[in-house]
Amino acid sequence: METTNKNLKALLLANKTFPLLMALACAAIFAGTHLYIVYGTGAFNEIFVVQMLDEGLATGDYAAAAGFATGFLLARILEGPLVGILDIGGSLMTGVGIGIPAMLLAAGITAPLDNFGLSLLTGAGIGIALGLLIIAVRKAMPEGLSASGTDVMMGAGNKTGRFLGPLIIISAIQFSIPAGIGAFVGAAIAYSKDRPIAGGAILGAMLLAGVFAFM
Amino acid sequence: MTGLIIKSIIIGLLGGGAIAAGAARMFHSPESQAMGAFRTLGELNACKGDPIAHFSFGMGFFFNAAAAAVATGALTQDVFHRIVPNFAAGALLLKNKSVEETLYDPSKMIVTGAISGAVVVTFLNTLASVIPEQLSLIAKEILSPAASLMINPVMPIIFWLAALDAGKKTGVWATILGGTGQMIMGNAVPGLVLGILIGQSIEEKGFNKAVKVMLGIIIALFVIIAYFRGFFAKLGL
Repeated sequence: METTNKNLKALLLANKTFPLLMALACAAIFAGTHLYIVYGTGAFNEIFVVQMLDEGLATGDYAAAAGFATGFLLARILEGPLVGILDIGGSLMTGVGIGIPAMLLAAGITAPLDNFGLSLLTGAGIGIALGLLIIAVRKAMPEGLSASGTDVMMGAGNKTGRFLGPLIIISAIQFSIPAGIGAFVGAAIAYSKDRPIAGGAILGAMLLAGVFAFM
Repeated sequence: MTGLIIKSIIIGLLGGGAIAAGAARMFHSPESQAMGAFRTLGELNACKGDPIAHFSFGMGFFFNAAAAAVATGALTQDVFHRIVPNFAAGALLLKNKSVEETLYDPSKMIVTGAISGAVVVTFLNTLASVIPEQLSLIAKEILSPAASLMINPVMPIIFWLAALDAGKKTGVWATILGGTGQMIMGNAVPGLVLGILIGQSIEEKGFNKAVKVMLGIIIALFVIIAYFRGFFAKLGL
């Protein structure tokens, strides 16, 4: 059992399984857009981005959605292999979830978005293609670059987490006094118990502001 | 309704599993190509492997997503950026406190991610309206400003300072590429990351062929991104 787990872990960390994970993620996100078109709910994106697709669905002019979203897709697909982390917001949720459907619909191809099974398959196909492309760009990257750059980046990435707690407290105080008091008291309690203050701040703010909202 | 539920479960299982495994891979980047976001990495680290912190952070954005789902049918990007990764991590950490054996392990994250995904997506698509509107509003008004401050300017500043502390060449390259990134992409972090990579390579191995090729790729990348994001149009070109 222990060895199967280790093998599975190694397999899931290997770069050859990356296109597979991409296929699953893209299938889900593309099918989410199918849900949105058919049922009016389920698109994996922010309100303003989905509205661009809406405009296209209403008027037949998909230029805004396609232009905005494919720009993001291209930028993120090129950046992903360079920095080691693909930003799924711009690449998958906006690019694959909004941009590619907009292009298909603009071209009059509606089947992949009307049919659930086809939407999963189309998404999976797109995901595999993008995943292979990203791995290919990685392979094409020249040897001889320093690995210590990564340590600097990871150090910075780890440090950013510390800012979240204080930011939530500041933002809660700006929202309302009960939320603010809840946030810093919650954070103080969390800190005294050796827990991350972000969690305590959110819980405290929601609790106190919620109580006041319903009084 | 049954159709919507079944489809939501399938979508949540597939997407949640893949995204959670991709998030676990972030802790093994750059050897493993990961998918997620630098901000997701920072936020997962902020919760320091504490299950309650992971759950409450995810829950805050869950309320926010519910409000958007009810109002417009858009579930927000936070489902896969924040809710699923944090729920998946929190579920694993309840039983085992070691992040190395849980959050960093894609073979475990894929399982709890798939389950979280199925539950979250199905709930948002069907029952989101049962969450009181005031609660959603509170979550949104508190978390959205905090999250957007985090993305800009807090993260750029931290990466920038890290670059400046890593030596003169790294600082200069990161500043130039970071500034260009902020101008073209609206955020300096990708540029800073590339600047650190280039600067550190020059510092250790000199201005070799690999660095030149990499610089060529970066310049081409910036030009392409600038074109697709309409930067040249803004300049009147």
